[in-house]
Amino acid sequence: MEGDRRCGGGAASPASVSSVSKAAERDVAVEDDVAAGVAEGEEGESDRDDEGLELGLTLGAARKWNPPPVRWSPCLHILTAKDLPSLASLASPRSPSASSVSSSSVTNLSGVGTGTKRSAESASPDVAGSPQPPSQMVVGWPPIRAFRMNSLFNQSKEHTPETTAVAIKKSVSKDQSRKDQGGRRTEMRNSMFVKVKMDGDPIGRKVDLNAHHSYEALAVSLELMFQKPTMATNLLTSFDGAKAMNLLDSSSEFALTYEDKDGDWMLVGDVPWGMFVETAKRLRIMKISDATGLSI
Amino acid sequence: MDRAFSWVAAFPDEVWEHTFSFLPTDADRNAVALVCRSWHRIERLSRRKIFVGNCYAVEPAAAVRRFPEVRAATIKGKPHFADFNLTITDWGGGAGRWIQSMAKGWPLLEELRLKRMVVSDDCLEIAARSFKNFRVLSLASCEGFSTAGLASVAANCRNLKALDLHENEVEENCINWISHFPESFTSLVTLNIACLDGEMNVSILERLISRCPNLKTLRLNHVTPLEKLVGLLHRAPQLVDLGIGMLIGEGHPGLFSKLESAFAHLKHLKNLSGIWEAGPLYLPAIYSICEGLTALHLCDSSIQTPELSKVVSRCKNLQQLWAMDLIEDDGLIAVASSCKLLRELRIFPSDPHGLAQPVYLTQYGLLAVSSGCVMLESVLYFCRQMTNSALLAIANNCPNLTCFRLCIIEPYTPDYITQEPLDAGFGAIVELCKDLRRLSISGLLTDRVFKTIGASANRLEMLSVAFAGDTDAGLHYILSGCKKLRKLEIRDCPFGDKALLDNADKLEAMRSLWMSSCSVTLGACRLLAKKMPRLNVEVIDENGGGSLESWPDDCHVEKLYIYRTIAGPRTDAPPFVLTV
Repeated sequence: MEGDRRCGGGAASPASVSSVSKAAERDVAVEDDVAAGVAEGEEGESDRDDEGLELGLTLGAARKWNPPPVRWSPCLHILTAKDLPSLASLASPRSPSASSVSSSSVTNLSGVGTGTKRSAESASPDVAGSPQPPSQMVVGWPPIRAFRMNSLFNQSKEHTPETTAVAIKKSVSKDQSRKDQGGRRTEMRNSMFVKVKMDGDPIGRKVDLNAHHSYEALAVSLELMFQKPTMATNLLTSFDGAKAMNLLDSSSEFALTYEDKDGDWMLVGDVPWGMFVETAKRLRIMKISDATGLSI
Repeated sequence: MDRAFSWVAAFPDEVWEHTFSFLPTDADRNAVALVCRSWHRIERLSRRKIFVGNCYAVEPAAAVRRFPEVRAATIKGKPHFADFNLTITDWGGGAGRWIQSMAKGWPLLEELRLKRMVVSDDCLEIAARSFKNFRVLSLASCEGFSTAGLASVAANCRNLKALDLHENEVEENCINWISHFPESFTSLVTLNIACLDGEMNVSILERLISRCPNLKTLRLNHVTPLEKLVGLLHRAPQLVDLGIGMLIGEGHPGLFSKLESAFAHLKHLKNLSGIWEAGPLYLPAIYSICEGLTALHLCDSSIQTPELSKVVSRCKNLQQLWAMDLIEDDGLIAVASSCKLLRELRIFPSDPHGLAQPVYLTQYGLLAVSSGCVMLESVLYFCRQMTNSALLAIANNCPNLTCFRLCIIEPYTPDYITQEPLDAGFGAIVELCKDLRRLSISGLLTDRVFKTIGASANRLEMLSVAFAGDTDAGLHYILSGCKKLRKLEIRDCPFGDKALLDNADKLEAMRSLWMSSCSVTLGACRLLAKKMPRLNVEVIDENGGGSLESWPDDCHVEKLYIYRTIAGPRTDAPPFVLTV
């Protein structure tokens, strides 16, 4: 089976270097430095296996282990040397997970199964850049109810300044390994699904505003969703304009509008992205010919 | 009457009716109804509860006609994967036709439970006015209604005992809908409004609570400031199930002891749920009730493992724990050593898209719980890494598992130590856990795991598969095995036509099959639909509808929903859902 072919030596051996490069058969370029990261992490691996089995039988006996943190590496992203300094600095002496990370990235980029089609698309333009969240382009994955995701988002939005202060102060006083988690609250972003409908298209959809960082990204997503290739460029010109007047030039066929918390329909692009995400309740892609009476 | 069945007349109908009332499941009653005409008649006239797993499987009018004395109805609409945005908006699942038929045929209806349906305010109004003895309204994962609809329920249902709103999308257009409960209204036992977003007028709520002495379940919504919660709790010391909404703390000194004493008064509290945003400093206020808790659903973003561990280690009688993965392996170890009666564990991801630093939650946490909690039956676990050896150990530790749902967040993730697929691990789960009824698999999986599931999972009723398998054989194994399979949902797997067509009969024995982003062609759907007239084969066309006839057979079907029905193709399908 494919899995076997790929893992070669399995656990702790420099042969894992070759198993990683074997995976290059699958049209993925993996830098040699990644393999070096793998080699670093090997000592702990065989220990880990035994401890895992022990734990299954007698609870408490194997308390000495520290679960290896899964080093999160962008899995839809071809690892390059640029990423590795960050990996190396985070890696603890025992991190066999570094190998799992590279393998799972390899796996994802190989395009097994029809579902990764979309993820492959998003990976290709983005070779050397900053980490991108992996699962964002796959609809409905991970399988968490949209309702729950939205609640998570609201929850992290609504805590009062006092509680934030309490939480952050407390976490800063903790030991080094936990220090990262103090920043979690501000970094953490969860899904914010809103309905979006396009004029002339009977199908309504939902888009996760929080999976995007900018209007441009949102435009691209919407294009993919509604499969209208020229739409993104049209929407983008409307963002740049930021004034209703510019929309009405004939090159732009669509306007993206949103309904805000007060129920008014506004043109997308006027306010900073963050503010937009917080106030938008629904989106509508209008045909320009219908765009009369929009509030500016 | 046949002489062969003359023994039926040996007892009057009432005796048979009474006998049938002891039958525990609908399946038993259905079996009884097949024995002879008399039993069929007696059974249908005495059926009080009806469960419709797929609202399109039968015409509402037909159901109402067949069972005229129903008092409690449960109806489910959209397929499960609709929860994850895999269907389209406006797919269907409208409750209107059901409510209308029920209003006409079951005026004495007392309990209505709807799940994943589109319920309009009109529906609520009709229900509120038509059912004079209405006692229980439960809406779960529904949408399409507003608080105005709730207001009419509040105003018209004089004897309402339970209003249970679970994770619905509700338009909030009537701020004080709660005030529509008349002053004379005192029958409330369950009030679950946790899913509502809007501010609640606390004094109206307090008055409602004060005059309902039988209130046992109170799940508040959203933002409940500490002060307000304290006031509410003092009015309902008899509570068994409390949802605190989102508890935020204001930080002034006297509050902690007030909160502590409010909780201490809840001597009967068994279930506690909600979002604790009041900071970990306030968490010890619940210590006094921990020992009595049997269920704890604590979703939170600020409680760290040490504080959470202190809470769970006091919950010696806990049977059900739902928590975020912030509980981490350490917290689960605390659970394993303290909560020996644990039956159900659900761990949700705090950071599903991997945007922040990862939490220290791995397979070790689940392993620990499986080892320490021998009564564990039901698991839902989101994590980022897993090994075959851990799964094997879990299966060995918990052979009584009935529900095992493991979601490894990144698709195609292998055993992170051996880099092998997780076939062996999941295989162990189905082979050793003989009572497994529900299974969700994830990670890197080949056809082998499906072979094992098909062969060994004899009690399996529901299976969820994503990003798994190599060839059509995978689906074939499942459909040709798994004798008791009722619901199968698949996404992003290389499964296609042959397995479907070879196992067409199986599809009629199941409630439904969902396949999206697989390798199914329209031609196969057409063949299937022709061969199996009692199946609805629905294809969702995301390109905006249009005539099905014009498309070629080799056209790829992106989303497919097949279900058995005696009602024929549905009449309320939107233009992009096409019945083949």
